[in-house]
Amino acid sequence: MRTDNVQPDIEDESSLLSVDRWDRIKHTERFIFLVSVAFVLTFSYLFSRAPVISDVTQGYHGLTITILIWSIFALGFNLLLGQTGLLSFGHAMFFGTASYATALFSIHVFNEPLTIVVVGMLSAVAIGVVAALILLRLHTVYFAIVALAIGQFLYFLANNPLEGITQGINGLEVSRTPVLGVVDLDHEYGGILGELVVNNLYLFVGVFFVGVVVFITRIRKSPYGLIFKAIRENETRASFVGLDVWRYKFAAFLLSAGVSGLAGALLAVNTQFAGVERLYWSISGDVVVMAVLGGLGTLAGPVIGTFVWFYFKGIVNGYPMLGNYWLLMLAVSFTAVVWAYPDGLWGMITSLTAELREPKALAAKVKRRVTGGSSTEGSAGGER
Amino acid sequence: MALLETDGLTKEFGGLTALEDVDIAVEEGELVSLIGPNGAGKSTLINTITGRLTPTRGEITYAGTDLIGMEPFEIAQLGVGRTFQTASILPELSVRENVQVAAFAAEHGSFRVNFLSRRDSFDEVQRLTDDILATIELDEKAGMEAASLPYGDKRRLEVAIGLATDPDLLFMDEPTAGMSPTETEMTVELIENLLAEWGMTIFLVEHDMDIVFDISDRIFTLHQGELIAKGTPDEIRDHPAVREAYLGGEEQ
Repeated sequence: MRTDNVQPDIEDESSLLSVDRWDRIKHTERFIFLVSVAFVLTFSYLFSRAPVISDVTQGYHGLTITILIWSIFALGFNLLLGQTGLLSFGHAMFFGTASYATALFSIHVFNEPLTIVVVGMLSAVAIGVVAALILLRLHTVYFAIVALAIGQFLYFLANNPLEGITQGINGLEVSRTPVLGVVDLDHEYGGILGELVVNNLYLFVGVFFVGVVVFITRIRKSPYGLIFKAIRENETRASFVGLDVWRYKFAAFLLSAGVSGLAGALLAVNTQFAGVERLYWSISGDVVVMAVLGGLGTLAGPVIGTFVWFYFKGIVNGYPMLGNYWLLMLAVSFTAVVWAYPDGLWGMITSLTAELREPKALAAKVKRRVTGGSSTEGSAGGER
Repeated sequence: MALLETDGLTKEFGGLTALEDVDIAVEEGELVSLIGPNGAGKSTLINTITGRLTPTRGEITYAGTDLIGMEPFEIAQLGVGRTFQTASILPELSVRENVQVAAFAAEHGSFRVNFLSRRDSFDEVQRLTDDILATIELDEKAGMEAASLPYGDKRRLEVAIGLATDPDLLFMDEPTAGMSPTETEMTVELIENLLAEWGMTIFLVEHDMDIVFDISDRIFTLHQGELIAKGTPDEIRDHPAVREAYLGGEEQ
């Protein structure tokens, strides 16, 4: 009966941009797919070549590929922390291991970009199985610290005892071959396509980026998306309704490891190199910062966080004088954003747009701020 | 044979004996209540049966299955549900999602590989969720964030989650604590409804003696970890040990 009342309202709404309608559309999988495709197609152009905009951003094409790859990493990391609530300080283990596996497979077995990327990803899943068996017995701080320890263990292992295989600090070279023996990754396009994507390498990474966004969107809309959140919110309750929490955490861990490994594998293809520094603990720290800065538990958040991080590292770094302080500035921005908006940059954007939707409330809030804000304090403490 | 049986159930915490040689039997379809003063071991008994605590000694059998050593989720999958004394909800999820999580566990079992299927494609889960929301009369608030519910509604959501696991035996730990008289009345009606129409067996822990004596088939009385009396409400009301330990002090 209730649906009968609601239905005509929706159909009567002829305005193309009604708020309700927009709210429904923006969460559909097709919309998210289209947005991610549009993002990949325009990102490099806007950032590095568009008139005016690129003059301001001072971006360059190579950095956009790096940002797409690290976005995949941050999305994979976020699957574990943002969705499931497990904080790992050792995600470099998947990133670095996949990078090595990709390089080693290309050198010793078979060198074709798609194949080696898949091999790299699977190697991260394999590491994930072992790490999960150790880590999922632990909680909170112990989970985070032991993850860090496993990552560092692999770093030292690769650096020294296995130097014969990994070449230690010199690293391994990944020579570039055509995808499926046909598509040359270095091929550069002319015309509009050239303006947008420049070369096949960007497209190659972009396709994986879109694939990961679609994959994670589907996970979020599946029973797993809900169950992961339930475990994050109240693990005890989740087990008492009859869910095998351990196995769901295991699944979340492997999914996260796989996506993170994909990023590591793509980086090896992109840089034609795999080195020991990708296993180093600071890599694990970087990805935490990116995900938290952008906004945990969201899709756009980790991508935005990655962009800002690399904007500081790749662009602000090059500024005269100021450039020396890029890490300091990043740290200050990070602290300021997370202090004011615990949900990160994306949380800041959504809460600002939500306020813009209620012009009267916003006006009242601004007015209160201007006039001294005495009325807010009375109501805040009122409810126990 | 009884649906649930404990035999010599004992739980010690260090030197403290929280439960001592507790023997209870719950028949299918009945409503039993557990009463006892604060610290009598009521919550320990529930926690031990539902797998949150491991007993020091003794046996627990549910429908012929030995529950000792089982994980809470395994016990829940056997059909033993529970609600918590303090609303143990999922605060950042919507009311509907709270119920849905439990409905997935009820319909799909403890684990299933379906991370590439949309959750709204599972009709049976959606149906169960809708049924429960309507039964508990939370359907109008289904879209609200659970944390933003008033206290009484949080308690009702707690019961809704317990129900959505589709249990045959439901442990309810003080379901009316903190509820308004109207909400309490609704909850009592719900419990009677669960017995009569859903054919559920209910194990109630409750402080409100009017409710306990009104709706229980049988009552167990715990005192300092020991079962000091069991029987019908009339038998318990007149039981000297119960009056001594519990009713005498509080009820005049």
